[in-house]
Amino acid sequence: MSPEPATYADARKQLTGLAIQAVELAQQFGAYASDAMIIASDDTSICVRRGMVESIERQENHGVGLRVFVMTPSGPSFATASTDDLSDQGLRELAKQTLAMARIATADPDAVPPVGAEHPDAECLRQWEHSHPLQSPWDLDRAKEAALQCEEAALAHPGITNSDGAESSFGLHHIAYASSDGFAGSYSRSEAALAISVIAGRNETMQRDHSWHRAPNKRMLRNPSDLGREAAERAVRRLGASPIDSCALPVIFEPRTATTLGSHLLSAINGRAVLQQRSFLADKLHQHIFPSFVNIEDQPDHPQGLGNRLFDGEGTRCRACKLVENGRLNMFLADRYAAKRLKQAALGHARRGLTGDIGVSPSNLIWQPGHASPETIFRQLDHALLITELIGFGVNPTTGDYSRGAAGFLIEKGEISRPVQGITIAGKLPEMFTSISHVGNDLTWFGAMAAPTIAIESMSIAGQS
Amino acid sequence: MPDLTIAPSREDCSRMSMSSLPIEHRTLQQACDLIASAQADDGDIFIEQGRAASISLEEGRVKHLASSRKQGVGIRLIRGEACGHACTDRLDAQAILETAKAARAIATGGGCLRPVHIQAAPASARLYPDLDPAASIAWEERKRLLERIDELARSLDPRIVQVFASLAFSFSDIHIIRWNGEWFHDRRPLVRLNVSVIAEEKGRRETGSAGGGGRFPLMELVEIGRAEHYVREAVRLALLNLEAREAPAGAMPVVLGPGWPGILLHEAVGHGLEGDFNRKGTSVFAGRIGKRVAAPGVTVIDDGTLPRRRGSLNMDDEGSPTQRTVLIEDGILTGYLLDRQNARLMGMESTGNGRRESYADPVLPRMTNTFMLAGKDDPSSIVSSLKRGIYAVNFGGGQVDITSGKFVFTTSEAYYVEKGQIQFPVRGATLIGSGHEVLKKVSMIGNDLALDPGVGTCGKAGQNVPVGVGLPTIRIDELVVGGTKVQ
Repeated sequence: MSPEPATYADARKQLTGLAIQAVELAQQFGAYASDAMIIASDDTSICVRRGMVESIERQENHGVGLRVFVMTPSGPSFATASTDDLSDQGLRELAKQTLAMARIATADPDAVPPVGAEHPDAECLRQWEHSHPLQSPWDLDRAKEAALQCEEAALAHPGITNSDGAESSFGLHHIAYASSDGFAGSYSRSEAALAISVIAGRNETMQRDHSWHRAPNKRMLRNPSDLGREAAERAVRRLGASPIDSCALPVIFEPRTATTLGSHLLSAINGRAVLQQRSFLADKLHQHIFPSFVNIEDQPDHPQGLGNRLFDGEGTRCRACKLVENGRLNMFLADRYAAKRLKQAALGHARRGLTGDIGVSPSNLIWQPGHASPETIFRQLDHALLITELIGFGVNPTTGDYSRGAAGFLIEKGEISRPVQGITIAGKLPEMFTSISHVGNDLTWFGAMAAPTIAIESMSIAGQS
Repeated sequence: MPDLTIAPSREDCSRMSMSSLPIEHRTLQQACDLIASAQADDGDIFIEQGRAASISLEEGRVKHLASSRKQGVGIRLIRGEACGHACTDRLDAQAILETAKAARAIATGGGCLRPVHIQAAPASARLYPDLDPAASIAWEERKRLLERIDELARSLDPRIVQVFASLAFSFSDIHIIRWNGEWFHDRRPLVRLNVSVIAEEKGRRETGSAGGGGRFPLMELVEIGRAEHYVREAVRLALLNLEAREAPAGAMPVVLGPGWPGILLHEAVGHGLEGDFNRKGTSVFAGRIGKRVAAPGVTVIDDGTLPRRRGSLNMDDEGSPTQRTVLIEDGILTGYLLDRQNARLMGMESTGNGRRESYADPVLPRMTNTFMLAGKDDPSSIVSSLKRGIYAVNFGGGQVDITSGKFVFTTSEAYYVEKGQIQFPVRGATLIGSGHEVLKKVSMIGNDLALDPGVGTCGKAGQNVPVGVGLPTIRIDELVVGGTKVQ
């Protein structure tokens, strides 16, 4: 690992200084407590289509989000505001405005002002910087070459008739945080990504599919030609897809679609949603919500994870944790407020944008892989439906009702037999979770989530007739 | 369509003057020169200054107030099929000129400098008030409104156990300066109220949501009883869902109610008719102008000129006036939705559909308000025509694959119908169909066209923009209903 250029450390230092300044202003104007987050990003993307550059985009953005608490006889009340004006005047206005809004909000005795969180200590901050040196993730010329190479490989595949383009992108992000209890810290992360979407067939038989990969830097990205070929093969194998008759069948989610099951789990174990009874898992803490061979963890520092973070949106140090252990739900995901009301420890799950209330999210969500290959799972299930694409928003996190548009392949006699589209798969998430029959050995990373192939015993399929 | 009867406010926009530009005239001229000298086909400078705020209630408390301020400049340079786009959130001369140079990365060559005079283009239509929508109503009043919503919802039925309500409002000031100096200006208000409740009975919990908004002062959401209507609607839906049974699974006739179910058009045909997909030949509708794509009687319009509508704009994000575009006329495909770049490449004119979420995003052809014209059928006779099927009155979101044409949308209020009679409400189910086939299966069109209450947000390529939809009651002879009850 090469050391990082000094300019990055300087940038972080400057942003941390601005975060401290925003907090000091809020305190000076009369805040009881306050914290500020600054995000500065520099992103570039380049799209090519049919061998020609179609667009080059460059975005440089920075902004500060301030959260201000005031104390009232019935407890703390707060407000948040953000601006992209980081001048002294801009920060002053921000502090005054946020304070005025906080005085209007209704107090909540359980609200947790940003004081006394378990912040990372100086040694921890130093170690993180040392072990995560920031490097420029890519450059425009090489990114362009990679996109062209990726598309060329896809277009070379017989059966590919058109291209939706290939896109390379890369960016740097600095995150700085300061709170009125005296803590201030920052960290950076980088990202490089490559995506390709191509079309097979013509007119009404057209099928499109895509492949993408995101990684912390270009060295860790998949080979562009491999990615292009994968997209081409995926599109071509969908040609001739048709609905099947309505029935009930075992359903297999390939890793790409299996990640959606992780997302549904996350909305149901979101501590804020649990407090408001907006979750079908609200009363399932410490119960078996999956079969005993399912383990799911949150890992804030993983070489392949794009969700790596040293501290969360409240400055709380992020800890690795086992969310689901041997099928049992160990904890809800919580920011400090939800943690207090749920009587849990705050483990660094506060998600924070520049404006808006604190939300909840994991860093990197990882399913523990099983032992069976996807092919073994196909053979064991014999007759099933493999899902390679899901569309629509038919998931209700309060009830667990699930009904989504799907495309994929019919598995007959243990093997892929024909492409399927124009169907829906439906069920109830609590039952879908408990009736997982297989977890594959093919753990695959998608940004900040890693999932293997996952099979569910039976779901309702709606199609022809 | 009662909403169309409201007259547009005729505000004087002659006060547009150089002083309203947040960037020095000289800097803009230099930036225009940088664009023009790159031998581009087109290019523009998009300046945005916006404020947004929200206030929300949960668990009986107005716990959260938020506001944000955003400003920035996006500079585009277009050559043929290629577009260079760079943006900055600083408005100083150095940042603007560096951004213009970055946008030139797409171009090669140079020369042909030409002088530019920045001049205001003729004022476009005034479809909405040129005022901060929240100016007349203080935070305390907004807070009281949410508290009244909470009280009302809980008083309507003891089974209501949770109430969430939020008000969101924004006001953005847009300047567009084309490479040749033409200068366009628009100020866009947008307000929205959402109410969502949870009803609980015998351990079963169900949700209901309603809301609305548009480009008008926040006060109007309060004054004319709209807020109360949304509360009653959210409560009604949550209680109805407590009674909902399993939806059937399989292909069957479906009747869609008026208004928001127009999301069908948005997903099934709207996206597929956007110019970029058609120029590239990646849409199932590519090359089909003049061909039959819907049953006789089906006419689909995209209209960005409806006063005060969420999807309406005085001008699009390239300075082109918005218009009424007939996409499908009596079942025949007649038009696409176009921005300037795709229009030029396709040898057509922009339809005023070039939109971007913000200065930081590229322009794409997008919908505004998309709806089907009314027919002659009596809505009740359409429902009673169902021997066995689904009557879907309201929906959540939808999505489409414009290449295969497969689209979905998910019911939030729907009923199982047998022998023309409504039997019982059914749980949320996703409906799936093919965009190029579904409108051919429309066999009845009601006389009750309605537009949605102003809640739609359309996502494309990671960019969200406000849109509207509308539909009369229609019967579709076959759609796949994604329930859990397999026959």
